[in-house]
Amino acid sequence: MTQKKQPKQWVACQQCDALFDKPLLKQGQSAKCTRCGSVLVERKVDSIERSFHWSLAGLILMLPAILLPLMGVTLAGQHHQASLFDCVLVLIERDFFMIASLLFLFAIAVPIVRLSGALYLSYSFKFNRLKPSLLNFFRAYHHLDHWAMLNVFMLGIVVSMYKLLDDTELSVNLGLLSFILWLVCSTMASAALDQDYIWEELEQAFLEPNTTDEIA
Amino acid sequence: MRTAKSKGLALCPKCHKVNKVVSEPIQCSRCMGSFYQRKYNSLQYTFAWNLAALLAFIPANLYPIMVVYQLGVPKEATILSGIGEFIDHGLYPIAVIIFTASIIVPLMKIIGLFVLVYKVHTGMRLKPNKHSKIYHILEFLGPWSMLDVFVVALMVTIVELGFVTSVAAGPAINYFTITVIFTMFAANSFDPRLLWDKKEIQSKEKNALKTT
Ligand SMILES: [Zn+2]
Ligand SMILES: [Zn+2]
Repeated sequence: MTQKKQPKQWVACQQCDALFDKPLLKQGQSAKCTRCGSVLVERKVDSIERSFHWSLAGLILMLPAILLPLMGVTLAGQHHQASLFDCVLVLIERDFFMIASLLFLFAIAVPIVRLSGALYLSYSFKFNRLKPSLLNFFRAYHHLDHWAMLNVFMLGIVVSMYKLLDDTELSVNLGLLSFILWLVCSTMASAALDQDYIWEELEQAFLEPNTTDEIA
Repeated sequence: MRTAKSKGLALCPKCHKVNKVVSEPIQCSRCMGSFYQRKYNSLQYTFAWNLAALLAFIPANLYPIMVVYQLGVPKEATILSGIGEFIDHGLYPIAVIIFTASIIVPLMKIIGLFVLVYKVHTGMRLKPNKHSKIYHILEFLGPWSMLDVFVVALMVTIVELGFVTSVAAGPAINYFTITVIFTMFAANSFDPRLLWDKKEIQSKEKNALKTT
C-alpha cells in the first residue's frame, strides 16, 4: 500500500480536551494526557485475535448461562430452581413488567448484542471482510457502552444466596458456572477490543485521506 | 494549555476523531455521527435528570421493596429494613454491600453531580483535577446501584414454594430503578471538559488582571 504523506494528525483528551500530536505507539503501549492523566490512546496487544476468541466463547456459553438453572431452594420438601430466563418469565407472569424488561435488557439483551457485535467486528478484521457499513455498525456499538450489567447481576446472585442460605437449603446448579464464565468472556471480549485501531483501519479503508483534512 | 476547542477543533465522542468545527452540530468525518463540541446543554440536562432521580429516590425508600409471604402472612420490607435484617442476622459484609449500593452510591451520585454542576456554573474553588476524578468514580459506580433490583428479581423467581413461602416485589422497586437509571442519564449528560474550560477562563482572567 502506497501511503501518501499523511496530513498532521491530532488527538484530543476525552476528559479535558487537551490537544496533542498523534503519538506513534507499538502494541501494548498507551499514551497519557499530561494535563489530567487519563489515557489518551492505547494500542492493545493482539486485539482482533483476542476479541474474536473471547466473543466466540462468550456466545457459545450464552445459551447455558441463560437457560440452565442458576440455583435452587429446598424447603419443607419442596424444591424450586430458576434460570436467568425464568427470572424474566416469572416477573412478567406476576406483572412486574418494569423489572422484567430491565432485567432482560441489562442482563440478557445488551450483553448478547455487545458480544455479537464484537464477534462480527473482529471476524470482519480477521478475515479481511471490511465493509463500509461497519462504520455505522461500530458507532452504534458504542451506544451500549454503559448498559451491560452482568457483573452487577453476579453480585446480586451472591447477595441473594446469602439471603437464602439462612432459612432454606440452597443448591447451586450448572447454570451458575456457565454464567460466571459468560461474564468473564464478555468482560474480556469488550476489554480486548481496540477501538482506536478499528476506527483507524476503517477510516483508511473507506474514506479518502483528504477528507481527514489538514488542520494547522 | 492547548485544547481542541481553542484551536477550533472538536473530538467526536463516539470514534474519537478530531474534527474541524464549522457549524454545530458537527458531523464527524469518520463515523458520520453528529455531535457538539461540548455535550449539548450539559449542565441543564444533568441538573434535570438529577432532580428527577432525587424525587424518585424518596418513594423508593418509603414504600416496601419486597414482600415475603410465609404461610400466607405478608411481611413487608423497605430498603432500610432489609439492611437491618442482615445486621440482625450478623451478615455484616452483605449489609455493608447493600447499604453502599442502594443508599450511599445513589445519594453520593445525586449530591456529587449537583455539586459538580454548581462548581462549573459558579467556578467557585474549582479543582478540575480532583473534580474530574470524582466524576469518574461516580460514573463507574452508577450501574452497581441496580444490585438491589436484581436481588429482588432473583428472590421473586427462586423463592416460589407455593403456600409455604413466596416473595413479591413492592412498589419501591420501580421508583428505585427509575432513580438508578436517571442518575446514569445524569452522569452521561455531564461533560467533565467543562471543568477544565471554566478553570482556563478563570486563570486567563487572573493573568489579564495582573498585566493591567
Ligand atoms: Zn486530559
Ligand atoms: Zn466520529
